[in-house]
Amino acid sequence: MMAIRELKVCLLGDTGVGKSSIVCRFVQDHFDHNISPTIGASFMTKTVPCGNELHKFLIWDTAGQERFHSLAPMYYRGSAAAVIVYDITKQDSFHTLKKWVKELKEHGPENIVMAIAGNKCDLSDIREVPMKDAKEYAETIGAIVVETSAKNAVNIEELFQGISRQIPPLDSHENGNNGAIKLGKQTTQMNRRCC
Amino acid sequence: MGTAEGITSLLREEETFSACLARIDSIILKPMLQAEPYDQKGKENFKLLLLLNDRFHALWDVTEDHHRALRQKFSTSTSFHIQDIYIIWKADLFLRHYIHSQGCRVASCAMIQSHSEAWKNHKTALKQFLTDGIPETSVSMALHTILQKPIREHVQQYSLILTRLSEATGKVLTFACRDSLMPELWGFDNKGDLHLYQNDALRLPERKLLEDSKNLPIFASTGRSDQVLLFSDALVLVQVNYVGAQEMAFCSLSSCHEQFFPLLSFCSPNPLLALCPQAVWQWKLSQAVRQALNGKRDFPLWSKAGGGNEPPICRCFKHIFQTEGRLKNAAYEGEWCWGKPRGKGTLKWPDGRNHVGDFKEGLEHGFGICLIPRVSEDRFDCYKCHWFEGKMRGYGICEYGNEMVYKGYFKDDLRQGFGILEDTSAEHPFKYTGQWENDKKNGYGVWDDKNRGERYIGMWQDDHRHGHGIVVTQSGVCYQRMFHADKMVGSGILLLENDSIYEGNFTEDLMFVGKGKLTFANGFTLEGTFSNKSGQGLQTQGVLNTSSHHQLGLNKFPVEARWWGIYDQFLGFVHSGCKEETEESFTGFHVQTSKELRKSQEYLCCQRGAEDAPGKMEDILEELVQHREPELLHCYLQKVLNSSLHPLGKLLKTLTLAFQATYSGTGANRHLLNMAQEEVKHYAKKIWEFYQGLLHLALEQKGQPLAEMEDEETSNLNAYGMILPLILPCFYPELSMLYMLYHEKEDDLYCQGIVNLSLFSDLKLLEFLDVQKNDTQLFVCLFQRRSLIKDKCFLSATECLQKIIMTVDPQEKLEVLQKTYEEIESTVSRVAGKDYKLPMDDLLPLFMYVVSRASIQHLGAEIHLIRDLMNPTNTGGIYDFLLTALESCYEHIQKNIKLHHRETWHSSRDSRCL
Repeated sequence: MMAIRELKVCLLGDTGVGKSSIVCRFVQDHFDHNISPTIGASFMTKTVPCGNELHKFLIWDTAGQERFHSLAPMYYRGSAAAVIVYDITKQDSFHTLKKWVKELKEHGPENIVMAIAGNKCDLSDIREVPMKDAKEYAETIGAIVVETSAKNAVNIEELFQGISRQIPPLDSHENGNNGAIKLGKQTTQMNRRCC
Repeated sequence: MGTAEGITSLLREEETFSACLARIDSIILKPMLQAEPYDQKGKENFKLLLLLNDRFHALWDVTEDHHRALRQKFSTSTSFHIQDIYIIWKADLFLRHYIHSQGCRVASCAMIQSHSEAWKNHKTALKQFLTDGIPETSVSMALHTILQKPIREHVQQYSLILTRLSEATGKVLTFACRDSLMPELWGFDNKGDLHLYQNDALRLPERKLLEDSKNLPIFASTGRSDQVLLFSDALVLVQVNYVGAQEMAFCSLSSCHEQFFPLLSFCSPNPLLALCPQAVWQWKLSQAVRQALNGKRDFPLWSKAGGGNEPPICRCFKHIFQTEGRLKNAAYEGEWCWGKPRGKGTLKWPDGRNHVGDFKEGLEHGFGICLIPRVSEDRFDCYKCHWFEGKMRGYGICEYGNEMVYKGYFKDDLRQGFGILEDTSAEHPFKYTGQWENDKKNGYGVWDDKNRGERYIGMWQDDHRHGHGIVVTQSGVCYQRMFHADKMVGSGILLLENDSIYEGNFTEDLMFVGKGKLTFANGFTLEGTFSNKSGQGLQTQGVLNTSSHHQLGLNKFPVEARWWGIYDQFLGFVHSGCKEETEESFTGFHVQTSKELRKSQEYLCCQRGAEDAPGKMEDILEELVQHREPELLHCYLQKVLNSSLHPLGKLLKTLTLAFQATYSGTGANRHLLNMAQEEVKHYAKKIWEFYQGLLHLALEQKGQPLAEMEDEETSNLNAYGMILPLILPCFYPELSMLYMLYHEKEDDLYCQGIVNLSLFSDLKLLEFLDVQKNDTQLFVCLFQRRSLIKDKCFLSATECLQKIIMTVDPQEKLEVLQKTYEEIESTVSRVAGKDYKLPMDDLLPLFMYVVSRASIQHLGAEIHLIRDLMNPTNTGGIYDFLLTALESCYEHIQKNIKLHHRETWHSSRDSRCL
């Protein structure tokens, strides 16, 4: 039996950059789509195999509005990974991304895996953020970077595969708990309310 | 030897005895009578002395009379008739006097102890009597010897002379007399053992001798010197250790032992007569037993043993214990088996002490109620307790005569283990809940001083506060520091109501003394030397501090060290194999709900019927094994933990008591929240552990394969996931109060925010919360249907969220949260006319709207309670997400609403204009 590891992933980024679209696309054709409960597009899960493990992504959306910015720490605490999304057609959203990265570095969980997604790559003709800028920036902070299109399902899988690969394997992970929740036995608490 | 000779010696004997008595009278009794009693005890003894004196004189008179009569007879007629011998003729009279004087003498022995002082003056007088080679001993011993010896020797002489006379006349004269006298004489020479003297049970005049082994040998082969006497109500075995005993051996033996068996304690087959006594003895014994049982004589015909004449092995009768020891002089009435009290019975001591309950092997064993009179007052201490081999052990309730009540565990008659002592008297009411050791408060315990409104939570040693302790007062001030024999030592931490903290030394009246540091709620600190009220050499510093959340007791009282006295009992129960009869003594009495309390108290006092007995342990274990599947297990645990009969249910009850004693009332102090929270979690762990233990035992007893040992992680998951929600209702009132106090400030701020938001109309609020910016379509929809929904947007969701305070279980609260979300989603879908998957950008403002409209008063407390006590497997999952969303709404309302206060006000004016 393959061990299931639950990995909390939080989505950060300006409102309107398509955070939830990316996740919706990612979980769309998922086999347990019907049975795993969701909170609209705000909380979703998907399990993918990775090596000899199964990674169950617990994806937490956040509100992108500026005024809710101060609430973000509650959401990203205990996360194994953060997906920070910007819109390649909006320079402002790339600025916001940099702010998020800075905040995560300072206040986020240790060893958090960061992935940068430049969304709406299908609209590259009205691009404002060059691919090169994003790549260079990602290199300086050691983050994964991909340009995605939720609409055309471009690079979505790759984004999450990249995260999976960056998650340290279980053994070395024991001491430095970076938020992944180990589940030895899937015990019965979940459905224990039935009687 | 001729008759004349015998008479002469008899006369001589009488003369000597009379002289001896006269001497005793003049030297001992008279001075004693002259000595004035000086205290209460002396007066009582003096009464006894008077009695002794009376008897002594009666004896003396009889002797004199006898002597006179004998001399007269002897001088007037030469033909002497044996009937004339006074002592034979009036043996009864003589004996009666004799017995009475013996009884008094016994009493005098005790009395003499207290008289020793007066007797020092008479020591020389005593020595006159002690010339005949008796080594000098204590005064009382000597006195006893003096009073005793002449009489004994006198009786010996009688016997000797009578024997000679009977030989001379050829008639058996002396038998009856001798046998009646004989029991009186046993052990009299056994100087080392004062107690044997007091054995006057054998001297009852109404006792009849039925058989003597000297007449009818008990064993076919007579080689043994043991003598067995069968009385109408007792069987006596005299073991003679004196080789070469003569005919009169029984009188002159220097050491003889007697074993006294109440006749009724004999059962058939008789253990004493196990060595094949003669059939006639067997039969006689059976007859005697049966007659004694029936209380009347019958005259059965001699027949083969058996035939329904055998008395039953277990009987019911009354007996007064004579032998030395704890039970001396106690009367036992009840069931016997194999010669020992066994079953139900009542034991009464002459001093008013009595015990009603179960017996085994002659000792109190099992449940019993014991009344012990208090020394000083006319009151009783009433113990309703479990006993083990004659001593209190296990759970019991003691209602002391001084209005104190102890409910808890005993060991060897002392309070030991967990127990609650409560004094409800008007003067100084208090309650101690905690550990006992050696009848004293020792270990972790909570003391509630009801007059002062103060509570001490901490360590005890020999009834004193000793070690680390926390004091909580009604006003909310609390401190933590070291105690040494009730005195405060060293420095401590004092938490004041206004959120300032003082670290340093302070007095009991909370005066600062010596070096200390005072930190105010705003972050400023004063450091320096304090003396009473004025501070000296104080420095101020501005340091930011979060004092209001300072927690006490965490490292000083690790949760594992609290209440182990409770766990220990349960562990002992499991280790002893969960025997049904010991269940109650380990886990306490089953207490019914308060409605039935009256009945349950009676139940303790009266006969405990079989229908009240706790469920059969076998059934309990069987049920345990059958309910191992997760769903069944949950139902089973729920049932069991609510049951006042099941051991686990009782354990939970006891833990509830301990918890309430610590954290209710005065103990409701926000600085104790973490202690309380930790404790409840620990309870869950322990209960799960004990469930595992019971299961293990049950499987073992049934011979089934044992369940695998769980690793700590799984065990914790089970404890927090399964047990915690089930036990939480018991601790919820105190716990939620602590959470409310802890989050009081934040909740106040949040409530203010809610009040501000309530000034908005619904649509204005939605607008204000940014709903329109992200999804104009949705907002337009909502806006357009304004008339339809009439300022009642998301009413169903709001109402649903309000239910969160109606439940106790964190899991249920989370489910309420999920339903609230579903309501929001369905409302949105209905308004938008299609399935709409809400991203967080839209959901959060809507959720915030619902939260603000639900206006739950202590939301902060609720959120933290859920987070601390929810199933840890929820972490990161859907419920965690919802809770985080709720928390973020709470935070947002609390923080930002204040900033937007002005804006709010304007908006509300605008909305009114609309």
